[in-house]
Amino acid sequence: MAERKLRYGVYLGAVQRHKRQISFAALLEAERLRPKRPPLRAVDLHRLLTPYVSVRFSEQLRAVVPLALMLIGFQALALRTSLLDADSVALGIMAVIIGLMFFMEGVKIGLMPLAENVGFQMPGKTHPAVLLSFSLLLGAAATFAEPAIGALQAAASAISPERAPWLRQLLGPYVHWLVLAVAGGVGLAVSIGMLRTMFGWKLKTMVLLIMPPTLALTAWCAQQPELASIIGLAWDCGAVTTGPVTVPLVLAVGVGVAASTGRSDNPLSGFGIVTLASIFPILAVLSTAIYLTSQGSGAMLPVLPPVADGWYNRTPFAEIISALRAIVPLVLLLVLVQTRLLGQSIRHRNIFVYGIGMAVAGMLLFNLGLTEGLVALGEQAGNNVPWAFSENRETGAPPLYPFALGIGLTLAFAFAIGFGATVAEPALNAMGMTVENLTDGAFRKRMLIHAVAVGVGVGAALGVARILFHLPAWVLLLGGYTIALALTVISREEIVNLAWDSAGVTTGPVTVPLLLALGIGLGEVVGAAEGFGILAMCSVGPIISVLGTGLWIDMKTRRRKRRSKKV
Amino acid sequence: MSKKNELIVLTDVMLITVVVQRGVADQVVQVAVEAGAQGATVFHAHGTGLRQKHLGILGLTVNTEKEILYIVVPAEQADSMFERIFVSAKMDTPGMGILWMTRLDKMSTYVPHDVAARFGVHTERAAG
Repeated sequence: MAERKLRYGVYLGAVQRHKRQISFAALLEAERLRPKRPPLRAVDLHRLLTPYVSVRFSEQLRAVVPLALMLIGFQALALRTSLLDADSVALGIMAVIIGLMFFMEGVKIGLMPLAENVGFQMPGKTHPAVLLSFSLLLGAAATFAEPAIGALQAAASAISPERAPWLRQLLGPYVHWLVLAVAGGVGLAVSIGMLRTMFGWKLKTMVLLIMPPTLALTAWCAQQPELASIIGLAWDCGAVTTGPVTVPLVLAVGVGVAASTGRSDNPLSGFGIVTLASIFPILAVLSTAIYLTSQGSGAMLPVLPPVADGWYNRTPFAEIISALRAIVPLVLLLVLVQTRLLGQSIRHRNIFVYGIGMAVAGMLLFNLGLTEGLVALGEQAGNNVPWAFSENRETGAPPLYPFALGIGLTLAFAFAIGFGATVAEPALNAMGMTVENLTDGAFRKRMLIHAVAVGVGVGAALGVARILFHLPAWVLLLGGYTIALALTVISREEIVNLAWDSAGVTTGPVTVPLLLALGIGLGEVVGAAEGFGILAMCSVGPIISVLGTGLWIDMKTRRRKRRSKKV
Repeated sequence: MSKKNELIVLTDVMLITVVVQRGVADQVVQVAVEAGAQGATVFHAHGTGLRQKHLGILGLTVNTEKEILYIVVPAEQADSMFERIFVSAKMDTPGMGILWMTRLDKMSTYVPHDVAARFGVHTERAAG
């Protein structure tokens, strides 16, 4: 080997960074003279973009993939059927993930700063009545922007018009009424939530005041043959509304109001609105349905198949329009309040525009992927699952498992979906930490997450069982909420807030379409008139389980205190 | 022998302060410890920098939540440590952060008695 001499100093000079001293003032001066942005190398772009994108991507990936895998895995392992149209489902799910990523980021950088500013400035500068009407509009506009609301419309096609005519009407020609009713319900809930923050009303009292009439109305509707089929939908609407747009937006405003009324010391001031926002839409939808049916069958509009003429009905344009329709009202409302009522201009305008653009693009992608991906997957699972215990509908093949085992498997599957979807929910994690602090560690974060997850799982299993055995929805709802109300009466205010809110936290934009489609697919196969109600059951479950856990913890600490007193 | 009430002042010390995006500090601390630092103090902070503003829309990818590290090093190691941190924190990309080094007049911390004894017996200040 040839020997080569190299001075160590020269080697170090080549390996080390070359150091040069420049005066900072001189550098700034030089940069000021050159207005252009410095050119970025490819590696710079990678270093800037990769961490940014990967964190946000994996956030959504974690929410979607476990659920999707569970649905596919159950079909593959237990039912030995493979996924139909696997390509388009995979593409659709990909679009959902990327769409949610864009949408959430857009909302975060475009809308949230604006909402926070409005929330902090408005209570001091305007009359409470203006604030309340703003809350009403904000709740309604945020509901339009909620990604999961599109899933309701996507579910419409599977409803049989003969057996549930008014349900089909509400999801078909009257779908705007439905969405308006839900939005109005949420708006009302938000403004009442603001009142609650201002006057420090207790959630316990409010729940005990609002819930019994809602249940009574439900029971009354169940006696009317025309209205009975609406109940499942109405209660599901309550679960749909409290998603990733409404909750943080409303909280941002609520925190500002709490600060201005001097109640910011209450760590629970944010809670409660979620609960109200899930109860009021139920009332609103039921009332709308009652009004519509009271018009008689003459008011029924023909259910038209979607016409595919005109550029505005073709695939990319229809989705663009619906994405714009979802986001523009919210943006307009916030911008108008900011510029007209508060007299402030919008700061960082290019970032704001970019955020709105991202939100629209994300909503567009999500809507594109929703039908092809999540809804298709959920419906396929719903169609296939009954094969576990009954004859295959298409091939007439005998059931795969004995009846009891098949039913057991199906319910276990429903439980697993509910449980799995909840454990992965990031909002619940944040809630768990608040709770651990509130209760001085008595209510552990893990315990809360597990209590909610078990509640949702049992709820999902009950919801599926209801569809399979043709049980009336209202009996289950009435039973579930009666237990919940009874537990509410004997629980502490903190736990009541926590339990009722945890019901709304669990139903994100991924869970809702999947569970809705699953229920509708199931309903179709077993010949039920409608397949709604799984989400509603998923909301009752955690209320009961969290209240129960809270009572149990209270009992334990009380017993321990008594024992330590004796000693 | 050294007395119990003695205060030992250490000299020839440099302070390296590093400002990086939230989440990067762990990696910088690891590099610094490998390069011989005894430890680091991390603060959470919030702020934007000069380059971040110049990036335009790409500036959104830079987290405004920051971590600030204090690393105290002997003067002999300071320059090489400075370079290691610059490279590991990828400071040659805009928006990745800033670091600086300052000379510390004096520094003081726990010094084991037997180690202190090696540097000579502590003497009382001349009486009177």
